[in-house]
Amino acid sequence: MPFREINSKMVEATVAPGQKMFSQRGAMLAYKGEVSFTPNMQGGQGGLMSMIGRRVANEATPLMTVEGSGTVMFGHGGHHIQVINLAGDTLYVEADRLLAFDGTLQQGTMFMGSQGGVMGMVRGQVTGQGLFTTTLKGHGAVAVMAHGGVIELPITPQRPVHVDPQAYVAHHGDVRNKLSTALGWRDMVGRGSGEAFQLELSGNGAVYVQASEEKL
Amino acid sequence: MTGPVIFDPHSLPADDNVNKYTFCVELKSSQWFLQKGKMIAYYGRIEFNGIGHGRLDRLLRTSFHSPLHASDWVVADGSGKMLLADRAFDVNSYDLEDGNLTIRAGNLLAYQPTLALKQSIVPGFLTLIGTGKFVAASNGPVVFMEPPIRVDPQALVGWADCPSPCHHYDHGYMTGVLGGIRSLTGLGGTSGEEHQFEFVGAGTVLLQSTEALMAEQTTGQVPAEPGVPGGGAPAGAGGAAGSVPRLPGQLGDLQRRFGL
Repeated sequence: MPFREINSKMVEATVAPGQKMFSQRGAMLAYKGEVSFTPNMQGGQGGLMSMIGRRVANEATPLMTVEGSGTVMFGHGGHHIQVINLAGDTLYVEADRLLAFDGTLQQGTMFMGSQGGVMGMVRGQVTGQGLFTTTLKGHGAVAVMAHGGVIELPITPQRPVHVDPQAYVAHHGDVRNKLSTALGWRDMVGRGSGEAFQLELSGNGAVYVQASEEKL
Repeated sequence: MTGPVIFDPHSLPADDNVNKYTFCVELKSSQWFLQKGKMIAYYGRIEFNGIGHGRLDRLLRTSFHSPLHASDWVVADGSGKMLLADRAFDVNSYDLEDGNLTIRAGNLLAYQPTLALKQSIVPGFLTLIGTGKFVAASNGPVVFMEPPIRVDPQALVGWADCPSPCHHYDHGYMTGVLGGIRSLTGLGGTSGEEHQFEFVGAGTVLLQSTEALMAEQTTGQVPAEPGVPGGGAPAGAGGAAGSVPRLPGQLGDLQRRFGL
């Protein structure tokens, strides 16, 4: 596991020769040893096509490649950091929230509409994810940023989890999500509870929720 | 669940943190220096006098050596307990024993007069020398590291006992043909990590866990004398700050070679 949490807002990563790591540009706080930071034109992995894909999907966040040997401290903007370890499953996360991740992870872009058609797209709009989201797949660790602390809620087939779309950070595992609406006549006359939209996640996995409704 | 803790003059800690964001100073007919506006409450009889107040002249002679930013500091004098805080930033106290510590001017909240405050020759930083306690704020908890280390300029809070840092530039990807195209066209951008402060030698480096800076405090101007770094120049105009420095022979310099 390459990430060590120093405190709630700072992680330490170990880089070894031959191991690449990607991180958000400007998120390095300090480093020891010989480490180089190269801006990554493609915004992540893959060739030209993946780069174009990300540009089109608006999931092209400025990333840099971290290489060399030593330890690097990451942190950004005073946001809380959650380290998520992936063991072969897929993490769905918004590209802006990525602080750093292992180069061994496979990066991809997913169309929200492919999960639940039109409702999926509506869901993307409400959660602020847009029409596309970034996926990371494989074995490795990801450091994800959130406003306020993060809690992990497990999802089991018997117990689906409902999440406020604005507090949603990321999820992994075999999870179906859908937007459930509790719109009533009160919302129409402006007396709603403010919780008309909820994200319902069901299946097997975990969802990460931040203790704030502020987006990054 | 515990309810809110209610403090009275006796239960307030003496010279310790009340919580992560508040620090309590106990005064027993003694004095503390503090930055203006960082006191949030006090018990007892405490007088706050701006520096320059006649009675304080002796104290100033021993523990305040930054004449040109005296207006940012006050002396608390009397008996009682005083609470210090700064915009909900994490507050911590540090003990120095016959040591020296250099800290970003905006991060220092208060210090005991047994310490002497001096301007560092690094612009924007203050050095505390002697024995005593001081209180500093940081954005997120402070992390202590040992050199050799390279630190993002915004994440640096201060350093103790080690030689002053130097600048380290790392933009190897800007050289060569591809790098030249990169810097000419702006395609691909920069990593934002070309410039660090490098620390070597023995000592401790203090980092804050984010790059969000605290408001910059002026450390005061230094006399315009030959050989004084930053002497006479207004703060912040220290050379070509902001622009990426160039390596000699890099393709980007073609513009200059062609006289463009």
